[in-house]
Amino acid sequence: MTSKDKIQQEIEQTLQCLDGVKRAEANPFLFTRIKARMSRKANIWERTFSFISRPAIAVAIVVLVMAVNGWALWGGSGSNENLTADNANVSEFANEYNVVASVDNYDYENMPNE
Amino acid sequence: MTNETELIEQLKLGDEAAFKTIVEQWKDMVYNTILGIVQNETEAEDLAQDVFIKVFEKISTFKGDSKFSTWLYRIATTTALDHLRSKKRKKRFGFLQALGGDGDEKESIPDFHHPGVTLDNKERAAVLFKAIDTLPENQKTAYTLHKLEGLSYRDVSEVLNTTVSAVESLMSRANQNLRKQLEEYYNKNYR
Repeated sequence: MTSKDKIQQEIEQTLQCLDGVKRAEANPFLFTRIKARMSRKANIWERTFSFISRPAIAVAIVVLVMAVNGWALWGGSGSNENLTADNANVSEFANEYNVVASVDNYDYENMPNE
Repeated sequence: MTNETELIEQLKLGDEAAFKTIVEQWKDMVYNTILGIVQNETEAEDLAQDVFIKVFEKISTFKGDSKFSTWLYRIATTTALDHLRSKKRKKRFGFLQALGGDGDEKESIPDFHHPGVTLDNKERAAVLFKAIDTLPENQKTAYTLHKLEGLSYRDVSEVLNTTVSAVESLMSRANQNLRKQLEEYYNKNYR
């Protein structure tokens, strides 16, 4: 028997070695572990909700939200001024380099009759 | 079957005793399927727990169109494959991968020993499992369900939601790939 034949024989035997394999058995305490994990999971949510619903935390969250809103309003008016200045710069640039004319090419509603 | 339907109905109502019965009845099937795919006993146990927690949480979505065992097999195989994907992603971007490189995988020593394999087949089975680990996901799933769980091609096709001929084709390609892997292995290691 050549070594090639021997290798082929090994391959065949290896492919058949799972025939009649027994089923692996799970941990006998699997259910207990599942229950423990489920209660841990539930506990995390319970703890999160009880933490958020504490008066001090709830008040702090409300104050934080109001502060963010206030900042957004005040910050918004400041940025409007900047925006106006930016728009003025853009218009000045467009006039100087005649950019408006090229943009008109895409204004299909006001296309000049040819 | 009626008993199974009753159990499922009770589980839908959140009955803990029904849940316990379901876990006890199907735990080996779930564990063995996952173990065949992930080839690691600790990970397989954690994932089996995940599967039953999913069953408890998602039982309301089980409409009874397929067998309960088919539904369970689907959850088990999906959970195991998701785990392998996330493990691969971590490995790909991991620090150890950068240090170790990935060129030696085929030559590494087969180290997974399935507890259901007889002692005289232990080494041989470890070599086969190493080869199974290189198969594409769908071939690996079909092969595991057929060889380790003893499912017929029809049952495998129901789990994979495909046709019997598609499973036949998957198994044929799996066998071809395994032969190729084993040939490489024995050419390098045959004494």
